[in-house]
Amino acid sequence: MRLLPALLLIAASCTLAAALRADDLLPPDTLPEQVIDHYIDARLQRAGVSPAPSADDANLLRRTTLDLAGRIPTAGEARAFVASSDSGKRQQLVGRLMASPAFNRQQTAEFDALLMDGTKSSIKEYLAKAFRENFSWDRMFRDMIVGEPDDAKQQGAIRFVASRAKDQDKLTVDTSVLFFGVNVSCAKCHDHPLVADWKQDHYYGMLSFFSRTFEVGEFFGEREYGKVNFKTVAGDSKDAKLMFLTGTVVEEPQSDEPNDKSKREEKQRIEELKKKKEPPPPPSYSRRSALVDAALKDEQSEFFSRAIVNHVWNRFFGRGLVNPVDQMHSENTASHPDLLAWLARDMRTSGYDLRRLIRGIVTSQAYARSSRWDSADKRPNDSLFAVALVRPLKPWQYGTSLLIASQNPDNLPADLSPEDLDKRMESLESAGRGLCSQFEVPTADFQVGVDEALLFSNGQKVAGELLRDGQDRLLAKLADCPDDKSAAETAIWNVFARPPAAEEVQGMTAFLSQRTDRAAEARKQFIWALLTSGECRFNY
Amino acid sequence: MSLTRRSFLSTAAAATGLAAADMSALNVLRNPALASELKSSGKRVILLWLAGGASQLETFDPKPGRPTGGPYRAIDTAVPGIQISELMPKLAARMKQLAIIRSLDTKIGDHGQGARLMHLGRRDEPSLKYPDLGAMLARELGRAESQVPDYVSFYTATEGRGSAISQSGFLGARYNAMFLTEQNTPPNLRRLDGLTELDHKERADLRDLLSAQFARGRESAPLASHNEAYSRVRGLMASEKLFDISGEDQKTRDLYGPTLFGEQALIARRLVEAGVPFVKVSRAWWDSHGQNFETHLELVTELDRVYSALLDDLGSRGLLENTLIVTLSEFGRTPQINASLGRDHFASAWSVSLAGAGVKGGTVYGASDEDGNTVKDNKVGAAEVFATIFRAVGIDHKKDYQVGSRPVPLTDPGTKPIAEVLA
Repeated sequence: MRLLPALLLIAASCTLAAALRADDLLPPDTLPEQVIDHYIDARLQRAGVSPAPSADDANLLRRTTLDLAGRIPTAGEARAFVASSDSGKRQQLVGRLMASPAFNRQQTAEFDALLMDGTKSSIKEYLAKAFRENFSWDRMFRDMIVGEPDDAKQQGAIRFVASRAKDQDKLTVDTSVLFFGVNVSCAKCHDHPLVADWKQDHYYGMLSFFSRTFEVGEFFGEREYGKVNFKTVAGDSKDAKLMFLTGTVVEEPQSDEPNDKSKREEKQRIEELKKKKEPPPPPSYSRRSALVDAALKDEQSEFFSRAIVNHVWNRFFGRGLVNPVDQMHSENTASHPDLLAWLARDMRTSGYDLRRLIRGIVTSQAYARSSRWDSADKRPNDSLFAVALVRPLKPWQYGTSLLIASQNPDNLPADLSPEDLDKRMESLESAGRGLCSQFEVPTADFQVGVDEALLFSNGQKVAGELLRDGQDRLLAKLADCPDDKSAAETAIWNVFARPPAAEEVQGMTAFLSQRTDRAAEARKQFIWALLTSGECRFNY
Repeated sequence: MSLTRRSFLSTAAAATGLAAADMSALNVLRNPALASELKSSGKRVILLWLAGGASQLETFDPKPGRPTGGPYRAIDTAVPGIQISELMPKLAARMKQLAIIRSLDTKIGDHGQGARLMHLGRRDEPSLKYPDLGAMLARELGRAESQVPDYVSFYTATEGRGSAISQSGFLGARYNAMFLTEQNTPPNLRRLDGLTELDHKERADLRDLLSAQFARGRESAPLASHNEAYSRVRGLMASEKLFDISGEDQKTRDLYGPTLFGEQALIARRLVEAGVPFVKVSRAWWDSHGQNFETHLELVTELDRVYSALLDDLGSRGLLENTLIVTLSEFGRTPQINASLGRDHFASAWSVSLAGAGVKGGTVYGASDEDGNTVKDNKVGAAEVFATIFRAVGIDHKKDYQVGSRPVPLTDPGTKPIAEVLA
């Protein structure tokens, strides 16, 4: 008994804790949005903090449209939403946006950025299909790690592995971060310095699931043999077990190391495959498949379900329930452990339904708070979610939004059918790609570089795309406005998608009226100032 | 004494009503060692990046008379007992200002990976994007109130440009290089035709006004960085003249020579003079798998002239004591001469050099064996070279950046600077 590995103890205590907690959690049949508000409000109360008020209608419309459709609202949408007195308008908005093809495109762009950033590869085609057909997250996980059954050419979800097959460390670390919310790379060279849970055994255990994956020309395959051996800090050589992060060891069929003859034969087979440009046949026993099976079972599925909840939460709130999102371990607990546990359980029992989680988040009160802290009280810690965080736009959001903002609003009238509006938006999304390639996908601690400011200030491309003359431009609409005041108001609706405030209209009218000798130029500069302002660059 | 970046930013932010708070989650100034900060103030670094891999045998570690030695002789320098290649007579005369490290064993003989190692000072790690030397120096030596760029990088040739990485990594885009590939002047520094100076300025004022209104009550580091980036635009535009060497007198221009490398080194001098903390000038392509000796005759001769010009020019302006010059490559070249009279990639025993700020001139550290095949004494790697660079300009190489919950030191734990080459 005294030889019982510490790991098992840890795993056991985790399970125990989860089991105990389950009894205390809100009932499973509560709506996710209610659960979110229950736990967020409870913690605010305990901390004695009154949260920021709800964001106003226009703000909430902009935030929700950016998050669910990847773009700002049109002036027409904004005016209509603000004018409506229907008490159910927010629910309707969410329903409408999530039913639109734009939602699937936004999901595709977000998940492709999350899963494939830094690989120079993309799984957009697969993701588009997955979201269109509402695949569950566990199915997507299997498709990405094992491959889709009908994808012999390895062009679909399996690009997740293929694009990393050259580098098993990267494959191991990225998989752990993205699907299990933990970064084990510190445990490669030594037991993790901060986290008692992770030893070198865990790192090499996780690596073992990928160690038989190898490149064959432009394809990759998986061997049926092969062990991982590593050197401990003490300098001993050790064989790695096929071990998940919880310490659970996966039993696998016996595999013998090949002798020289079969090695030669294998090499020959591989050379032939390379020549024929064919992928190798799948192995009879796949360790990657074993990883998926193990990760979705028992207490391991806690890692898997908590990680996806945290990634999605981070996307909509600008901060994870566990922050940073790759540090979900015992030394870095969740700001709202019960909420995370409930949502993770709901993720499992709902069959890993991403839409359900997203709908819960965007209809919660927590999501709807103002991002402005006007209270005389000290600004509360971000982890309380008492005030919404300002989030930099993703490249595609910024690219499309700049094009919408600089369009003549007559091109996007309020009475356009949803299908027609979506078609126009889809074409703006592709037109915005050139611009969007100039920006980075923001990660934690993102900063805007001076390159961007220089590009907007002096770049020919930006001036050419956003400030050119033409009947389809906002510029043309402003020229047609009867006076400076209405030009200023029109521009603010179009770029900021909200009603103008009196003093800003005044300031802008002054700007225009001081430049009557070059009115057209003045309107151009004025649009430039709106497009480059912080308000246009961020989701707030 | 200059303000630290953070205290400047918080003051500026408070003054304009912009978000103050944590500018970036990188909590570098935890209990700052004031002494070392003082020492690093006003320090600059010029990196001469010899892309493709310069031969140590035709530069700083000749092996005359050995089968690996090649056709060039070794010559005496101003420091008795130290010899370098005859292709570098000017540097030989200035040896009292140079420190040579002859014992690099960096293991990686591949252009891409080798260049990454010599830019980052460590191997890549899958989960962490490390900043390169320039970004770290920009962060440590730059000043927020400065009107000039922090990090300028020239790489005009196309060979090897993809490997000569420039990445600010976890330090964030604030420390991205101004990366010049096409021309000697950075893109987007000049106002577009058709827009008057007045309008350019006043529309920026209007933008600031709108953005300041928006930032009220919104405390956010990314938002503050957006406003900070725009606030630097006009200062950077004013620095465009630094990239124009037409005003330099003929004597100075002759010193550097008429080549692109020479001109860019002269721009580097102008930049550091104006307060730019880090400039990298790349010269390609040293990858002499064939005709090694012709290639090196041309490139080393040019390097000798340009490097010496920098020493003299910076020296006569009183800038050398505050400016460190470093030569780095992705690796050296094989002692064995191949059938095409070339030398191939070689990372087991090669050389780099340092001069200027914080450097003990007239020194040689480490040694390769008599044919140059292995390191005989004092083996070092990229980390030690980086630590030495940091220490030469007064930066604590053990200082941690806080990346999320993880402390990441400037150089890998346990790294020691090479004290023997430090003043």
